[in-house]
Amino acid sequence: MKKTVEEQIKVLLTKHSEPPLKVIIPILEKAGRGEQELAAHIYDIDSSLTKGIKEIFGLKDKNMKTLAKVVEIVLGAFGQKIEPIELSESRFSLSISDCPMLHVGKDVSLNVKSKFCDLICTSGSRALMDTVLGQDKGICFWDKSLIKGKGKCRLVFELVKTR
Amino acid sequence: MSYLKNSLFLISICLVAVGIVFILVWLNTTESIRYADFQTVLTTTTATFGTMLGIITAGLMFTQGKFSELASELSEKSTDYLAKVLSLEKIQTIENHLLVLRKTFIDLAATTTINEERDLYERITVKASSIFVNFAALLNLKLKQQGLPDTGLIVSEMDSNLYRLYEKRRKSIRKDWQIFNIIKEIVDIWEAPTAFFTEKSGRKSALHADLKGSVSLLELKEKVDRSSTIRSEVVKMLSNLIDELGKISKRLHEDRIPQLLFQMEQASTLRGKYFYLALIFIAAPLLINLIILPQLSETTITFFKQIISITSLLSVMGVIFLLLYIHKILNV
Repeated sequence: MKKTVEEQIKVLLTKHSEPPLKVIIPILEKAGRGEQELAAHIYDIDSSLTKGIKEIFGLKDKNMKTLAKVVEIVLGAFGQKIEPIELSESRFSLSISDCPMLHVGKDVSLNVKSKFCDLICTSGSRALMDTVLGQDKGICFWDKSLIKGKGKCRLVFELVKTR
Repeated sequence: MSYLKNSLFLISICLVAVGIVFILVWLNTTESIRYADFQTVLTTTTATFGTMLGIITAGLMFTQGKFSELASELSEKSTDYLAKVLSLEKIQTIENHLLVLRKTFIDLAATTTINEERDLYERITVKASSIFVNFAALLNLKLKQQGLPDTGLIVSEMDSNLYRLYEKRRKSIRKDWQIFNIIKEIVDIWEAPTAFFTEKSGRKSALHADLKGSVSLLELKEKVDRSSTIRSEVVKMLSNLIDELGKISKRLHEDRIPQLLFQMEQASTLRGKYFYLALIFIAAPLLINLIILPQLSETTITFFKQIISITSLLSVMGVIFLLLYIHKILNV
């Protein structure tokens, strides 16, 4: 019997699951190593997840519209609600009001949170862009508003040639 | 939540109305009222209480009927569940997996020095133990039904706390349909919520999600330490549990068991809380009225004046509870 889209996503998420950040960050902080491994681990997981999502939804185009769709599905599957701000041929920006980093323990300093925020967003967004747009075809930046205690975090994806 | 707010709003309106009526009645009774008027008031409130009691009784019979209908529907299904969905072999396999997981995570929790990591492993142990106990109770019932002896192997794996929980679960299955309360609890502990990346504070995470997170964590630790852990064993157990418990959960939802259990819970609440509430506000004053009525004369009227005003007030409250009761019945 053919599985529904929801079932397929569930299987995909079971197969490719990220480590709970509120647990892994204190472990790596204490060990004083493992950041590169975490970055590679997240890149691998998010690449596999994105490939799976593309396959399930039949998304083949290598453009910003597809990237926007994939971002919405991936973040949605992770329980994130996104608010798209801008979508053009070369740019996609959105805002999110919740992020896993917010749930990392209070005893973890803002500097450490900021470091891991960069590490996770860099590898996650790179995995998404490499899988959808092609290797090194896009860049992503974010304003870290959420961990600074401001309302929403803004993420911007851009094609490399436009910058 | 909105339902609760709605009920609170209704009750506050009712209480304000009752307050106004009470003041009006109190003011009126201080004035001199004729004997005939009192008799009319008393007869009317008695008749009102009597009618309300009749309606409440009819409502109770309806609710009881609904409850029995649901109970019999679930009882019919329970036979099939015990025979096919929860085969002896399946329960034993799941119990073995849970036992291995429990032992593994107890060991992992003992070896870590990071609080967050220990919390995760302990959470997994508690949840795995809870499902283990629930399946043990179902297994005990199944063995009894099939007339097979209980080897006590599963019970021997329990510590005193787990055994106490097991006994509680076992004794909670008095009717056939009650196995569904246990199965639903198992599925609720196991199943991951729709979104499970961002852990909302206060929301309990599912065992499935915690296990997935721990597998990913162990995988990363393997990469960092370049050593092998028990990850592959956990992955195997997780995969088997996803398969086995997934089938049970799927069937449970296909048969709409959670909805049926919810309806039963509602019918049971109606049968209990609302019925007794209404009964207190209707039957008690009705009884008082019936005692007063034969005593009522020109001379006793002053003595019973305040009591009659209170029972009249209670009849207003009785009507309010009756309306709430009917509203609830219509929603079952």
